[in-house]
Amino acid sequence: MLLFEKRENVSTKLKVAIPLISVFLGLVAGGIAILFTRTNPLIVYKALVKGAFSSVYTFSETLVVAIPLILISTGLIVAFKMNFWNIGAYGQYIIGAIFGSFFALSMPATMPRPLLLTIMCLAGILGGALWGLIPAALKAFWEVNEVISTLLLNYIALYILKYLMYGPWRNPASHGFPLSKPFELNAQLPRLLVHTRVHLGLIFGIIAVIIVYILIKKTKFGYEIRVIGENKRAARYGGINITKNIFIAMAISGGLAGLAGLAQLSGVIHMLQIEINPGYGYTAIIVAWLASLNPIIAMFVAVIFGGLEAGGYQIQMAIRVPFGIVGTIESAVLFFLLGGEILKKYRIRLRRNTS
Amino acid sequence: MDEIIVKTKGITKYFPGVLANDHIDFELRMGEIHTLLGENGAGKSTLMNILDGIYHPDKGEIYIKGNKVHIQSPFDAMTNSIGMIHQHFMLVDTLTVLENVALGLKSQGFYIKKTEMAKQIKQISQKYHFNINPYSKIWQLSVGEQQRVEIIKTLFRGAEILILDEPTAVLTPQESNDLFKILKKLVKEGKSIIFISHKLDEVMEISDRITVLRKGKVVGTVNKNDVTKNHLAKMMVGREVLFSLERKPLKRKGKVLKVKELEAYNDKGVKALKKISFTVAAGEIFGIAGISGNGQKILSQVITGLRRATSGKVILNETDITNVSPKAITSSGVNYIPPDRLKVGLIPNLNTVENTILRSYDREPILKRNFIDYEKATGYTKSLITKFNIMVPKIDAPVKLLSGGNMQKLLLAREIAEKPKLLIAVHPTRGLDVGATEYIRKQLLKERDKGLAVLLISEDLDEILMLSDRIGVIYEGQIMEVINIEDAERNKIGLLMAGVDSVRN
Repeated sequence: MLLFEKRENVSTKLKVAIPLISVFLGLVAGGIAILFTRTNPLIVYKALVKGAFSSVYTFSETLVVAIPLILISTGLIVAFKMNFWNIGAYGQYIIGAIFGSFFALSMPATMPRPLLLTIMCLAGILGGALWGLIPAALKAFWEVNEVISTLLLNYIALYILKYLMYGPWRNPASHGFPLSKPFELNAQLPRLLVHTRVHLGLIFGIIAVIIVYILIKKTKFGYEIRVIGENKRAARYGGINITKNIFIAMAISGGLAGLAGLAQLSGVIHMLQIEINPGYGYTAIIVAWLASLNPIIAMFVAVIFGGLEAGGYQIQMAIRVPFGIVGTIESAVLFFLLGGEILKKYRIRLRRNTS
Repeated sequence: MDEIIVKTKGITKYFPGVLANDHIDFELRMGEIHTLLGENGAGKSTLMNILDGIYHPDKGEIYIKGNKVHIQSPFDAMTNSIGMIHQHFMLVDTLTVLENVALGLKSQGFYIKKTEMAKQIKQISQKYHFNINPYSKIWQLSVGEQQRVEIIKTLFRGAEILILDEPTAVLTPQESNDLFKILKKLVKEGKSIIFISHKLDEVMEISDRITVLRKGKVVGTVNKNDVTKNHLAKMMVGREVLFSLERKPLKRKGKVLKVKELEAYNDKGVKALKKISFTVAAGEIFGIAGISGNGQKILSQVITGLRRATSGKVILNETDITNVSPKAITSSGVNYIPPDRLKVGLIPNLNTVENTILRSYDREPILKRNFIDYEKATGYTKSLITKFNIMVPKIDAPVKLLSGGNMQKLLLAREIAEKPKLLIAVHPTRGLDVGATEYIRKQLLKERDKGLAVLLISEDLDEILMLSDRIGVIYEGQIMEVINIEDAERNKIGLLMAGVDSVRN
């Protein structure tokens, strides 16, 4: 018989060991799935790691995926810290991308690059922030559950994007495909390394991580959102303006998701289209939680997730296992990591049944 | 009568860093009410949770009716006819009494045999005068009634041995009396009861025998008839305890708080305050006595700005603070010890420093240009900890790890440090052990002597009588009468609390 006993606190040793063992077990479980494709899991894993971290190029591809994850998860952490369940980074990302694209598509190609990029970034942040402020207002004034409102706004954002792509913003020269005109060079974020796709968004991400870290740990705003997140009634009792903080936090959260969307377009895709990877908005939720809502840890977790995805594309090409297998491995690892969280809270003991 | 129904031998239980139970030998005789007495953290609840199968002893044996048993789970406890009524009820609010009783019953199949169960519940209810309708929803019941549902749950499952973990902590004096009647009836019907408490008066009232625990060890087991309250207190605390506090003569100064014909509604939309008027002067403690749910909580919330007044006025030193924001009220000199420290007053998962600065984080010297100076904050916290003698093992550990008494001391320290003009203290000692209670009460008196106006709201009549200079008795949202402490009689106040108006009668 299994018994669960509550733990008071967890030793540092366990804090490190539990996730490591969880990841290992996840890989074992994922390996079993790989066996069904009649491939040796060890070869797949080796190729996965190689595909993600072995060379400058492969690592750069890992970083390309990590950039939006870092930006979004950092923003989400601000909202999650105050117990505001922003599931809407998906939509905030899309709207940010649309706002930024507007300037990329409408400004002349002769406009100075730094000026246009600055405008686009600000527009991306503004778009995401506005989309994030809608559920904030609904919550603040009418107590609408933010999980529902942010989630539903994701669909609205997606359909706005589809409307633009099939309608006014479709490139007449795209032979009917839902694509915009490609961005001119002055609307493209500069690359950080030649022959790679790593773009300036990485620097944005690192700056965002540092700012949010300081914001949460050191400032009045950070203290207030932590109090709100932990105990709303105590916050009200302490005279903290909850409404104001919801607005600020969601503006930051949405703004960073919007910036991520804009950076993905301007740095990687170079045009507006329907598939602009808004799914990062969901992956980033997992990143934020695995990092225990610590933005610095989130940055590294994002790189690992980036590696999984980038490495996944590589094994798909190199060993010809389906890309879906990456999703399977990712889910298996997650499953065990979340299971491991229980071990942090409870001590599990085995008892022989005496009766 | 003297047959031993439960016996523990050398029960030992470790928690990380604490020896919660240290070789505990305990005996419950059939048909007795046996009290486990001890301060918070003495190990009473741990021992009972072991009997109920929630915890498992690291060492030691349990015998039921002479047979050695291994209790692995509450279900095992039930099959050994042990039933526990926890301090925090294990009931589903939105379900009916019947559904709650049915929850987890093995004898029930896929469908609940409602009519049959309802009949049985009614039988139990009648037998012990519970007065519970099986079809009421839990949220519609008062706390006392919910507790009776818990008792029905255990009786329904055939419990012979009932464990009640601080059952009166959540009850009004009246409800406690009702409970005691029920317990005596249960014992008469052959049940055996373990009663956990740290309130000496009720222990003396209800128990046959008393086992005193201190720091995880048994101090001794005594017959009630052989001991006095003082004797028990000494056993429990390990030193002499004062039951009355020294009060300096009243030096009343100007009126600080004036409440004029105040009205407000509760969450259910019912008018909870009906034209309440009273004043509190500097240097006096004004006590509000009353049975729980007569508007005390609403009153404290309206004065502190956490709830809107629909009419009437709250005036602080000639300034109208009716329906002003909580922040503005606090900064105009009103501080507040809320009734529920963990739900309102403190942030359980944040550390001691972060909890201490809740009132002062947004101004100099702790706040500098929107940044919180955590070094200053830590220094400030340490100074309060020393001044108020608060036991904080680790200043950066979550505050929920502190004992109840130390949490309340921290809360009190934080509020007093703001140098308020008016302090509102609601149930300031509820759930605290003797030592901490004494400390908190002394502090309140000390601040009164220094000229603070204190509004004390408490359901503990002894506390009201011990501390107040004047007492307002509240009943159904109205002040029945204001009585000077010199003229205060327990009986009269008790009648007023029950709504009997002495003038009109």
